[in-house]
Amino acid sequence: MATFFGEVLSVYSRAVEEDDDDLDDENEDERIHREIEEKREVHIVWCPEVAQSLEDSGSNTLQCSDLIIAVGTNAAGFLSAYVLNTESWDAVGHVSLWNERSRGSSRQSIAPLPGEPACLFYRHRDNPAVLVCQSTCYIAEDQLFQWTEKVLGCLQKRGLSVMVLSDSPVAEYKTPDYLYGSAVPFLRSLKSSASKGQALCPALEQPNILTGLPAAVLSHCQVHQIPAVLYQCYTDVISPDSITMETYKPALLCLSKLVKLEPCLSADVLRKFAIITEAQSNLYT
Amino acid sequence: MAMSYDRAITVFSPDGHLFQVEYAQEAVKKGSTAVGVRGKNVVVLGVEKKTVAKLQDDRTVRKICALDDNVFMAFAGLTADARIVVNRARVECQSHRLTVEDPVTVEYITRFISSIKQRYTQSSGRRPFGISSLIVGFDFDGTPHLYQTDPSGTYHAWKANAIGRSAKTVREFLEKNYKEEHMESDTDTIKLAIRALLEVVQSGGKNIELAIMKRDESMKILVQEEIEEYVTAIEKEKEEAEKQKKKT
Repeated sequence: MATFFGEVLSVYSRAVEEDDDDLDDENEDERIHREIEEKREVHIVWCPEVAQSLEDSGSNTLQCSDLIIAVGTNAAGFLSAYVLNTESWDAVGHVSLWNERSRGSSRQSIAPLPGEPACLFYRHRDNPAVLVCQSTCYIAEDQLFQWTEKVLGCLQKRGLSVMVLSDSPVAEYKTPDYLYGSAVPFLRSLKSSASKGQALCPALEQPNILTGLPAAVLSHCQVHQIPAVLYQCYTDVISPDSITMETYKPALLCLSKLVKLEPCLSADVLRKFAIITEAQSNLYT
Repeated sequence: MAMSYDRAITVFSPDGHLFQVEYAQEAVKKGSTAVGVRGKNVVVLGVEKKTVAKLQDDRTVRKICALDDNVFMAFAGLTADARIVVNRARVECQSHRLTVEDPVTVEYITRFISSIKQRYTQSSGRRPFGISSLIVGFDFDGTPHLYQTDPSGTYHAWKANAIGRSAKTVREFLEKNYKEEHMESDTDTIKLAIRALLEVVQSGGKNIELAIMKRDESMKILVQEEIEEYVTAIEKEKEEAEKQKKKT
């Protein structure tokens, strides 16, 4: 093409041609999508005994009467300190997944190291129908459905009852009244309609909502009519903290009916599970 | 929702709140407790000592700072903000001495600190100071004073007050146990401050730091043994009181 100034420009053709190149591109796109899906897949790795029981049962499900899920470091710390502290719990599995915030181990079979964010399952030795799950890793929104389907899909629905303990920052609690310091941390509850019986704390008021793993589990239980109750603890501390963990104590009432618990706990044991960030943080004096 | 009214502190919300200032008051609650008591002849500031990391020099973690020979203060909240405020106050104390040839009055320096804090609630691009402070001392005419300032820049005189983490509990204790006639005795004034702190401090006397100033004397920080003596005396008095209660 000649321009006003006498130079010659080469012009690119804007004609679209049906090329084989397009097909390759599509295949490549598909391949990339598939790779990402595989990478983001949620895998549950059970220990050999449990894997065997799953195989032996015809429906690939475990018999479970109570599933307790703890989401968040304080909920997990509470279970570690008050429930899992006796010797009668066995680690029976973990969930291996990858997302931008949760880079799980590249090999699924390796169990997560203690202290690492992870999703661990424990079963009581004397009462193997009681299962505890501690989830401290971040599960992305696109993985929540998979997680719930795979975990709850492994358990028989009949006779199953679920309890979820979850942490949340109090800054996300919406209320018209001003919350004085002494009120925090506090518990709020939500139940599926199949759940009979009283919750041990006031129900979560509108317009507050649940998000993330607790919401996914509760929704699943609501749809499949599994009795489920959730206790959400609103706290103003961002790290694991013994006072926040103690707020979950009302849940012990339900748990003590299922398994034998340590009667009283010294404050030192509790503090062991709470990260002592106070000493390191010189931000506030 | 508060969200859109707390981005710039110069903006009022429709119901008259300055949310950044109120959030700054939440930052104060993250600091450990400080209590101040004004006696007739002595002023006392007691603070909850923070646990320091093993390798940290605990002399550098000071909550009580002298501003001049006749005034000292304790703060609760963001450490770095406190350092700035204390430095400016110290400079002002000396500037006042040079200009007027007199030491500052406690009210003057409190007003100076509060004015700085208020200025930061009305400038754009700046956030308020995240500290509250208890300022105590004696004026040159010998009157003792205790003032409290907060992030909004207000200040008030108090007979006894507390700031920081469990301030509400400590203030309620002070309201119940403050007796005007006890303030004549230095020992009773000091004991009231220690008793108030013991309500909220974990593991007793070794987590308490106390500073006192008697009229015409400079500030004195009590050593651990002296504090333990007071704590033992307080515990004995408590036991006696409970024995009396059981008898009646």
